Amino acid sequence: MRRALVDGLRMALRPMGLPLILLATNVVFAAVLAVPFAGLLETSLRETASADTMVRGFDFPWWSHWSHERSGWSSAFGPAILGSGFAFKNVEALIGGELPARLFVHETEGVPRARPRREEGLDPLVLALAVLYLALQTFLVGGVLGVLRGSGSYTLRGLLHGSGFYFGRMARIAILALAAHAALFALNAPVARWADRHALETVTEAGALAWSLGQKGLLLLGILFIHMLSCYAKVITVVEERQSASLALVSSIGFCLGCLRQTFGHYLAVALLGVALLIAWSAADGHWMATGFRTQMVTLLLAQGLVLGRIVLRVALLGGQVSLYRRLKAR
Amino acid sequence: MSLRRLFVVATAFAALAPAASAATADLPDLPASSPRTASYSIDARFEPATHIIEGTLALDWRNASNVPLTTFPFHLYWNAFRNTLSTSARGQGPRAARFDDTDRGFGYTQVKSIRLVGDREADLTPTLCYIHPDDDNANDRTLMEVTTPAPVAPGEWVRFRIDWTSRVPLGRPGRAGWVHDYVLAAQWFPKIGVHRNGAWNAHQFHALGEFFSDYGVYDVRLTVPRALTVGATGRLLGAPTDNADGTSTHRFFQEDVHDFAWTASRRFLDRTSRLNERGLPPVDIRLLLQPEHAPMADRYLEAMKVALRRYGSWSAPYPYGHVTVVDAPWGSTSGGMEYPTLFTSEAHLWSPTALQEPEGVTIHEAGHQFWYGLVGNNETEEAWLDEGINSYHEDKALFLEMGPSAIAARYFGVRDPRGRRTGWPVVTPGVAIGRGEGHVDDLVQNGRKDTFRRSWDYDTWPAYYTNAYDKPALTLQTLEALVGDDTMTRILNTYARRYRFDHPTTEDFIRTVGEVTGKDYRWFFEETWFSSGLCDYAIEAGNVTVPSLRGYKDGPDGRVAWTSLPKGDSAKDSFQGTVTVRRLGEVRMPVEILIELADGRQVREPWDGRDRWKRFVFDQKVRRAVVDPARVLAIDVNPVNNTWAEDKGEARRATTKWTLRFMLWLQNLLELHTVLG
Repeated sequence: MRRALVDGLRMALRPMGLPLILLATNVVFAAVLAVPFAGLLETSLRETASADTMVRGFDFPWWSHWSHERSGWSSAFGPAILGSGFAFKNVEALIGGELPARLFVHETEGVPRARPRREEGLDPLVLALAVLYLALQTFLVGGVLGVLRGSGSYTLRGLLHGSGFYFGRMARIAILALAAHAALFALNAPVARWADRHALETVTEAGALAWSLGQKGLLLLGILFIHMLSCYAKVITVVEERQSASLALVSSIGFCLGCLRQTFGHYLAVALLGVALLIAWSAADGHWMATGFRTQMVTLLLAQGLVLGRIVLRVALLGGQVSLYRRLKAR
Repeated sequence: MSLRRLFVVATAFAALAPAASAATADLPDLPASSPRTASYSIDARFEPATHIIEGTLALDWRNASNVPLTTFPFHLYWNAFRNTLSTSARGQGPRAARFDDTDRGFGYTQVKSIRLVGDREADLTPTLCYIHPDDDNANDRTLMEVTTPAPVAPGEWVRFRIDWTSRVPLGRPGRAGWVHDYVLAAQWFPKIGVHRNGAWNAHQFHALGEFFSDYGVYDVRLTVPRALTVGATGRLLGAPTDNADGTSTHRFFQEDVHDFAWTASRRFLDRTSRLNERGLPPVDIRLLLQPEHAPMADRYLEAMKVALRRYGSWSAPYPYGHVTVVDAPWGSTSGGMEYPTLFTSEAHLWSPTALQEPEGVTIHEAGHQFWYGLVGNNETEEAWLDEGINSYHEDKALFLEMGPSAIAARYFGVRDPRGRRTGWPVVTPGVAIGRGEGHVDDLVQNGRKDTFRRSWDYDTWPAYYTNAYDKPALTLQTLEALVGDDTMTRILNTYARRYRFDHPTTEDFIRTVGEVTGKDYRWFFEETWFSSGLCDYAIEAGNVTVPSLRGYKDGPDGRVAWTSLPKGDSAKDSFQGTVTVRRLGEVRMPVEILIELADGRQVREPWDGRDRWKRFVFDQKVRRAVVDPARVLAIDVNPVNNTWAEDKGEARRATTKWTLRFMLWLQNLLELHTVLG
């Protein structure tokens, strides 16, 4: 497992341009909304005292007024996404079934909410953009695996060729994975309601949180497990040049269950590295005042470093899985 | 000035403030005791297994009116949970009676007999009927009425004896009730209405609104299983008496209060402390704490001391010498409610200090000892008087003691019975909510929907909440800025002392404001409390070039002469600065406008705010213009448009800074999608 981790990281970092290309796709997609967002923000802040406050800190009354006037995708901006909140908010959206495109949303709460909060729920435009991104990454993953399978050297043309070559199979695996997620969330809904009801009846809040965190933790593990199966299916497709996506997924299930400790252990280790990355970011974030363009540039670089790190881990996961699959199959 | 710096300055000023007792010379004297119009002696026995209370009470009641009375209304609050047709069950809001698919949510108060005892001995039970003056709901039994054979004359005392049985409902969503081995008994005994202004003031128990009753003496003997720790209104007289059947009888006694509540649980941790503050009477503080909240004991006790100290100087000293704080357990909705000398608070397991939980709710409910307990306004009809003044003082106390509050979202938790999210709190770094700012959001959303009215008459629960809490708190903060902090404190000192153990009305409060300030402030309350309008002032400015003189002018000989500007001499152009201040809302308030000009001069202009707009023109560039620069108008729902500032690139820098954050969230969200494919 450790070797797979190291192999994966080495494979991901060896062709450093590969994560950078993936980062570029991520930045371009984010810019689709970030650029108009900047326009909205500047219009709102121009010739106000809030502009100065927002340079030095956060103007809560300004945001409160802004959020009243906003609807749609730009209303996502608020205190909830600041600090490390962005990661929590996104993971909560994930386990809430909002990703992708609100496909897996079920009524899971046994207790009605006090009143709906404005910032809850992701906007359809944001979700649509994310679906396109998912499609693009599904397209690219075949090419990425082709690079990882080989010596590590690649050309952009080769990457795109590999991506196109495997796209049909990768897309079918992705669809099967989405179907598995749909089943998981459908199963989760009654369990969540049941856990909610038990949580309400426990004597202590600690007990209630144990019910809630336990249920959500299990769901998250289920999501990650399906992702792992899907990743191995893609690895098997590319490494063994399989023609059938569904058979590759069946092989993946067999392989993962057969070597559960190694495969899921490796997967969780990569996930923990991602968590460590976020903790490192949280620890560093806020230790400097991003008031001038220079300090903002530092923030930009660190933020992009965080996203790049996340992408490197995604590639390293695939690389480690290629390595692990080859070694375990060789035995 | 940043909020943190403002907080430091405010704290420094607060520390320099003279002791409360030094300035009481010209204030009204405090009454030695209450009128003691309705005094209760109660014997009650609680059976946890069945959640049944069997009780007998003797009520000594004096006809304090100037008319003879034959009919007497009594509140039977727990009949709100009797069935699904009660007025509360048909109502809205988080406290409306609601039931799950079991019978545990149902409760009742059943009067078995009611008699007049003493000289006028009579059985009134046959005359008992249920009345529903507010909504004609014949199924509502929260108000009963009995008729005496002969009128009770003005000034005459009578004694009622009532035997009753109550079933305690599940402790959600109501304030009273049981959860596991915890029970909070509030509004639990038949309670007589208040006769005011020639009529009975007794309303049914609605989903929105609280309570109103007369002051008196309570002598209560509670018999409960021995293993239960008991807390109640009043002071425990002697040690509990153990009975042969495994129960104990606790006797609590309290003078000059208008209600009695008690609580019991096996799980309470019992913590005590004492407030010894110069200029204030000492107070024994008892904290009944959930074991899982043991690390928060000091925070609870310190918040209590803050409240007693601050409210003691801002209104009038707390006289009872003891107070009990009940930390409500998980699964109960009893948290955050006031009763005389006892109140409930609440806490989350994970409560970073920056979020001011449980400090905020503890200070608020402790504050009700002053605004509701000692000054007993009618909560059902004029909720803003106690909730509003109390919220105003709570904001002030929290800001002075703890500074601006942080903001956090909670993740991965479950919703509590009131529908609020528990879970891991992620505190947003660098975001602070200043004094009163947390109320503005509600005011914007609900301010125009309703105005002050009887609690149950509000269109929606948020409209009730806004008008009972947010709007009056911001209004009083505005009044404080208008009249000055010292005068505001003097207003509330006077009001608290004059109406201690009394039932003041809104008119009494407005009259007190006028008396202390020496000015008629009715216009202020007409614009705010009695209006559903919002307050929003805005300012805009512009600088335009005024070209140098070209064309015809008076010549030296008095004849018209032609003049023209030499080419390329546009540098001689001068500027005209224009500032337009607008009243976007309906509320009219006098405001000050501060204008900073290019030559560094500062111009201050007053405006009465009666018109919709006013324009000021200057013969040079305007650098900055602010309407209400001292932030007097806390009720201004959009302080952002109060300032116009010449853009020196801050907007661009702020934009890039926060766009990066937005982008990071979006990038992370996009990347997270790859987990699903």
